[in-house]
Amino acid sequence: MMVRVGDSAPDFLAKAFYIETTTEIHLSRYRGQWVVLLFFVGDFTIV
Amino acid sequence: MAAVAVKYPAFRELGAETLMVSVDPVSTHKEWHEKAMKGMIAGGARFPLISDQEGTIGRLYGVYDDEKRINLRSHFLIDPDGIIQAVEMLSAPVGRSVAEILRQLRAMKEYRATGKFIPCGWEPGKPTIPETDDSGAPTRVWESWKPGKAF
Repeated sequence: MMVRVGDSAPDFLAKAFYIETTTEIHLSRYRGQWVVLLFFVGDFTIV
Repeated sequence: MAAVAVKYPAFRELGAETLMVSVDPVSTHKEWHEKAMKGMIAGGARFPLISDQEGTIGRLYGVYDDEKRINLRSHFLIDPDGIIQAVEMLSAPVGRSVAEILRQLRAMKEYRATGKFIPCGWEPGKPTIPETDDSGAPTRVWESWKPGKAF
């Protein structure tokens, strides 16, 4: 189900590539600052 | 992604972190970053590229396409309290506007800081609208607003 404006952002813990290393990103650790969460179709895609 | 990377300093100046998510494994993010991103922008992306191979995060946000096994292009602005303040989703062939995402972020921050409403097409420096007028009555914006102000 689509989350909506006004909802709490669902928390997640996931692996990430970040400044030359593999790390884990926990969304809730960003509490206190703005987050722009951007989904994209995939690496090596046209747009 | 390269466009986000170009504007990353602007996001940081606004106190925001950008997190980009796709179904690619971390190894592919690494390869993409090395082979493509660094060629487009010096240093590449200085923000996390999250791997969502099973579409778990995409499902949580309602953007995972089970048939294509991809996360649909979309963005969510999350405020410092963890509340979603903006949502956008686009079809795969059409890219987003990073300038518009920055505008939305600036607008959200302006409202949060001042409590004044943000009119259509607002850009930093343009007027915002108080909820009530000098007498305390609800602002009758339609009596003074001209649609040209939105552009």
